[in-house]
Amino acid sequence: MNNLIVGEDIVKIYGEGDEQRRVLDQVSLTIEEGEFMAVMGPSGSGKTTLMFALSGMDGLDGGRVAYRGRNLAELDERELSDLRRNEMGFVFQQPTLLKNLNILDNIILPALRNGKESAAQLTRKARALMKRMGIESLEKRDITQASGGQLQRAGICRALMGKPSIIFGDEPTGALNSKSAEEIMDIFAQIVDEGTAVMLVTHDAKVAARTQHILFMRDGKIVSELRFLKKNSPSLDQRLRLITERMREVGI
Amino acid sequence: MYGRLVRNDMAKSKLTTATTMAFIAAAAMLVFLALFMVVHLLGAIDNLMTQSKTPHFMQMHSGTLDEERLKAFAQKNSQVEEFQVLEFLNMEGADILLGDNSLISNVQDNGLCIQSDKFDFLLDLEGRVIRPKPGELYVPLCYFKDGTAKVGDRAVIHGREFRVAGFLRDSQMNSTLSSSKRFLVSQEDFEALRDLGNTEYLIEFRLMDLSMLGAFETAYIGAGLEANGPTITYPLFKMVNAISDGIMMGVILLISALVVAIAFMCIRFTLLAKIEEDYREIGVLKAIGIRVSDIKKIYQAKYAAIGAAGCVLGLFLALVLKDRLLENIRLFMGESHQSFTATLLGITGIILVFLTVMAYVNRVLKRFKSISVQEALRYGTSGEPAKGAQHFTLSRSRLLNVNVFLGIKDVLARKKLYGTMLVVLVLAAFIMIVPINLRHTLESERFIGYMGIGQCDILINIQQTTDISEKAESIVSHLAKDKDISKFALHTTKAFKVKKGDGSEESIKVQLGDHQMFPIAYSEGRAPVSEDEIALSVINAQELGYKVGDVLTLVIQGRERAFKVSGIYSDITNGGKTAKAVFSDKDTGVMWCTLSVALADKALVKTKLSTLTKAFPFAKILDIEDYAEQILGPTINAIGLARSVAIAIALTLSVLVTLLFMRMLVAKDSHAIAILKSLGFTNNDLRWQYGTRSVFVLVIGFVLGTLLANTLGQGMAGGLFASMGAASFRFETHGLSAYVIAPLAMALSVFAATVLGTWKAGSIKLSENIKE
Ligand SMILES: Nc1ncnc2c1ncn2[C@@H]1O[C@H](COP(=O)(O)OP(=O)(O)OP(=O)(O)O)[C@@H](O)[C@H]1O
Ligand SMILES: [Mg+2]
Repeated sequence: MNNLIVGEDIVKIYGEGDEQRRVLDQVSLTIEEGEFMAVMGPSGSGKTTLMFALSGMDGLDGGRVAYRGRNLAELDERELSDLRRNEMGFVFQQPTLLKNLNILDNIILPALRNGKESAAQLTRKARALMKRMGIESLEKRDITQASGGQLQRAGICRALMGKPSIIFGDEPTGALNSKSAEEIMDIFAQIVDEGTAVMLVTHDAKVAARTQHILFMRDGKIVSELRFLKKNSPSLDQRLRLITERMREVGI
Repeated sequence: MYGRLVRNDMAKSKLTTATTMAFIAAAAMLVFLALFMVVHLLGAIDNLMTQSKTPHFMQMHSGTLDEERLKAFAQKNSQVEEFQVLEFLNMEGADILLGDNSLISNVQDNGLCIQSDKFDFLLDLEGRVIRPKPGELYVPLCYFKDGTAKVGDRAVIHGREFRVAGFLRDSQMNSTLSSSKRFLVSQEDFEALRDLGNTEYLIEFRLMDLSMLGAFETAYIGAGLEANGPTITYPLFKMVNAISDGIMMGVILLISALVVAIAFMCIRFTLLAKIEEDYREIGVLKAIGIRVSDIKKIYQAKYAAIGAAGCVLGLFLALVLKDRLLENIRLFMGESHQSFTATLLGITGIILVFLTVMAYVNRVLKRFKSISVQEALRYGTSGEPAKGAQHFTLSRSRLLNVNVFLGIKDVLARKKLYGTMLVVLVLAAFIMIVPINLRHTLESERFIGYMGIGQCDILINIQQTTDISEKAESIVSHLAKDKDISKFALHTTKAFKVKKGDGSEESIKVQLGDHQMFPIAYSEGRAPVSEDEIALSVINAQELGYKVGDVLTLVIQGRERAFKVSGIYSDITNGGKTAKAVFSDKDTGVMWCTLSVALADKALVKTKLSTLTKAFPFAKILDIEDYAEQILGPTINAIGLARSVAIAIALTLSVLVTLLFMRMLVAKDSHAIAILKSLGFTNNDLRWQYGTRSVFVLVIGFVLGTLLANTLGQGMAGGLFASMGAASFRFETHGLSAYVIAPLAMALSVFAATVLGTWKAGSIKLSENIKE
């Protein structure tokens, strides 16, 4: 397997003077191509911050992040934008759709910016994705006319449009009931099967149990790690037990 | 807690707060100055007219005069308090030399006078009656103002030497709008020059009671006394004195209204943006049970502070500036002794500005009521989907670039917000295009048509001399032989009586001759062609109550003759009261003759002018361009200045407002910007989006501004000219300036302001803004 993203000794400091806090304290990790990964940790432990650091959305105060061997610190704003648009997809804690556009337009927006496909092609593709997510009837709706869960799914559709190499999901299922959450995890699993890496931030052990690689964070550090091999990996229940045990061990 | 909210808010939006305050200050200052000056102007005019005892009724007369008969009339009429006949010794401009400047090309009727004994005094700059000594010449103020003469200059009139001893205020003829100018000399000098000029008489009356003026006028006309010349009454003198400065004050008031409107737009934009931004917070406050009126109080307090500070600043500026603006009034009319009233009125005006601002703030704040707690908390925005823009979708717009689409979509989705910016840009375009077009119209050849003169190259006037007809004939035969001259037309002006509906008669000046050769602007109908047709100037048609096709009766040599009104034309010369006809009449006396001359080669105008001037010294020979220039020159210059100022104001305004709006938008849009950036949109993409927003608004604004300028602006200018006698006024648009350079300049300013205003969008922190 090839490395997709490699982070070495990542340091991120917030605040100034006496208020200074190391939100990420020499974090190192590797995301492989096509890997399904989860990050767990208590609130405030730095999970979202790590995601911003790995995707180049935020600068670092130490260490480096490389995407397919390219150091993100050496890319300019334009190259970083291109990278995010072409290679990455994001699903945030809250739905991040634009107010002015209807749901369909929101979904096709970043792909349209790429200019590789026509609006008609993209619309067809978006409709297929929306159908898969169960929100096909919402396409003309304004974003104020949909529920939080529906918007979250629309956000996932948007992230998938550009056929990214990796999708970052910051608690994508946090706002959903367990049934919807499971449906969404099915979709992520499918995406991984199609070769896209997925990194999810989650508080939910059930969600983490569906992934292959779990990082446990505390106070800005990775304190523990779990890996399930693809071949003869334990059953879902066993994994769930292993994860909850480890969570207790590290004090999450 | 509210206090802190307001302080935070003002600190966050320093630029907006400062701009709003600046506009309020400017508005307060302008309102104060305009009102202050109006009071001073009216006071000063009253003072001047009281000190100099301006006549209540004056009849100018050239020709013989029967003074005994006039005296008898004055004694018999119980209204007359005082009566006098003054002599006005009309001098050719060429014969007057002030310092090194000759008045040769001056269009005013310049003449000499001696000081009157009874009333209609000519005053010095301290308001005293001047008693000139022999050799002393007192010169009308307008020649001081335009730099023609200064005290101590040597002056030569018809070879007689004078020294410019000072300048004089003339309550009748101060204004450049009145066509005559009186120079004051001693009795001795006057007698010495008497035979070298043309004597006209000013027959003047002061009445016991000014309200009886109308009756007196009728009595004078009814008595059939000397009346070969214009009649001017006290109210008209007053108006002529007031008009130049009055127009300026009108303009200032208009500008202050505009500035108030812009201050409103700033307030509206800030508040709307604030409400949009704080939608969720306000929702939360409402949800936890805080009353809307409490929230409103915060903003009222904020704008009361801004408004009060602006008004005080405006008052201060006005107090600093007021004396400089009064200079002109002081020079021409002296003191008004009304400082207290003027200041009081000015301050009242400022208080009015403040109250208007507060009323406006309250109106905008009404919107708070309609904030829905439910929507605010769920979506952080008002739930109504943008009407009309819903069908404008990315999936369907095939042609537009994504960034351009997003820009336009945003404008369509937040019409109220951008509407505010639009209004400012419309105003900016308007105040830029109107003076451009106005000035261009005044300069255009066609404008001469409004002056009742056809498009010719040289204008020859023969008036205030004897044997006018014979002299005209001699010029005609000269012109007919000259091969350089492509065509010419002779118009003879005679006075006839027109019979009115009630049987009374009124004098009317009719220009006889060919009126087709040099066509003028007809607002209705056409030039008279046959002997029984007559055309009337707009003002005459209005006052006499005739329309095209009506029949009008003239009394010619005691016989009545009917004419059909063939057309109505614009004329802003001769007080705008003229008529044109083609019939021949040998017996009635000629008042003056005019010859319009066109040259085959325009380049010859100057040389032809000098040969004609030498050959016919009795005639006033004018290059039509000079003539128009002299009559319209001050106006054109004033408008040219107004144009420059307007362009500067418009561009500054566009830059300022765009900058302001863009900076606020970026602050408001930080969440959306963060989303877009997380999706991989570059800073350049964002700049394109914001650029599209402002260009889109600008294009609409410019189109609307242009439309407004060509309708409302034209109407306003038309109204002004209509009052002077020009009908159916049309803008002559200067395509290049108005539709290429002006919009380009605006686009450039708006674009630069957008780039500057949205610079910060690039540095918006994703990690901080994506979380809401
Ligand atoms: N812009 C900021 N300025 C200062 N401190 C910040 C900023 N953003 C985050 N922090 C702090 O950094 C720490 C890590 O934040 P982060 O959002 O990464 O936590 P998280 O693990 O995602 O928590 P959660 O599970 O609640 O989302 C927190 O203690 C937070 O208070
Ligand atoms: Mg988080």
